[in-house]
Amino acid sequence: MRDKLLHAPPDLDPFATDLPRIPDVLNRRVNADPESLEKGLAQLVLTLVELLRQLMERQALRRIDSGGLSDEQEERLGRTFMELDQRMAELREEFGLTEEDLNLDLGPLGRLL
Amino acid sequence: MIELYAITDNPGPPLPDVAPPLELVPIDGLAAVCTPAADAEVSAATLWRYEEVVEALMADRDLLPVRYGTRLDDERAVARAVNERRDELAAALDRVRGAVELSVRVAAAGTEQASPAAPHTSSGAEYLRLRSRAKASRDRAARALHEPLSALARASVEGRPRPPELFRATYLVERDAVESFAEEVAGLQEANAGLGILCTGPWPPYSFAEP
Repeated sequence: MRDKLLHAPPDLDPFATDLPRIPDVLNRRVNADPESLEKGLAQLVLTLVELLRQLMERQALRRIDSGGLSDEQEERLGRTFMELDQRMAELREEFGLTEEDLNLDLGPLGRLL
Repeated sequence: MIELYAITDNPGPPLPDVAPPLELVPIDGLAAVCTPAADAEVSAATLWRYEEVVEALMADRDLLPVRYGTRLDDERAVARAVNERRDELAAALDRVRGAVELSVRVAAAGTEQASPAAPHTSSGAEYLRLRSRAKASRDRAARALHEPLSALARASVEGRPRPPELFRATYLVERDAVESFAEEVAGLQEANAGLGILCTGPWPPYSFAEP
C-alpha cells in the first residue's frame, strides 16, 4: 500500500476503531438475503428514534446550560436519556446494526449523526 | 456484467495499463471507465484493488469516482445510466476539476482523554454532564482546526467522528496546494498539543462526487 499519511500523530490507535468492521460492512452491502428486509425496516425505525433522541438530548443539554432545571429534574432527565441510549444499543445489536447505519443524509442540513 | 470505476472527461489521456484492461464508454463529452466484472470475493483486498485503479486514473486526469461495487449489465446500460444524468455529472466533474480529497481526523492525545460515547455512570445528571463535556471538546477541536483548514480548501464536508475521535472532515484541495495543506496541519498540530491530528491523502474526491 502506498504511503497516504501526510501527517500522523505518534498514537494511531484512536483512529483504528472501525478497522475490524470492514469485512462485515463489505459483506452486508453486497449479500442480499431474506433477513435483510426485516433488518431494513428495523434500520428505518431505529433511525427515526435516534433522530428524536438526538433532538431531545440537545434540547435537554441546552436547558441545563441555561440553568432552568432543578437538580431532581436534571437527574430524571439524565436517567431517561441514559436508559434510552442503552436500549438503543441493545436494539442495534439485536438487528446487527452499527451507529453509522442509523445515520441520515439530510441534504443541505448535513448528516444526522 | 460490467464494473464501473469512474466518470472522466472524453477525450482524455490514454488509459493506464492495468489487468484486466480498462474500457471507455464515451457519452457526449464524458466517459465511463469500466472493466468486465470479475466474480471476485468482496474483501478489503478487492477494495484496495479498486482504489489502486481509480488512483492510477487520477494521476493524470480529473474524475468522479464511482462507488465501489457498482455494476451494470453491459456498455449500453452504462451509456444509458450516464446519459440520464449527463449534465449533473459534468457539473460535478467541473467542481472537482484540478483538486483531490484530503482527510483529517482528530483525537485527544496524551493525558487529555476523550470521553466515551456512552459514559458509564449511574447518575443521570452526571451522564448529561459527561455528554455535554464530550460535545464541548468536540466543538473546541472542530473550531480550532476546521476554520484554518477549510480556508485552504475549495470545499469541505464534516463527517461524524467515531469515538474516541473528536472530529473528522474531508477537504477538496487543489493538487498543487496539498503540500501547503499538510504544512498547515503540522502547524496546527504544534499549536494543539492536546490533540492528535491524522491527515491522509491525496484520495479521489469520494466525498465531493455526489451532485
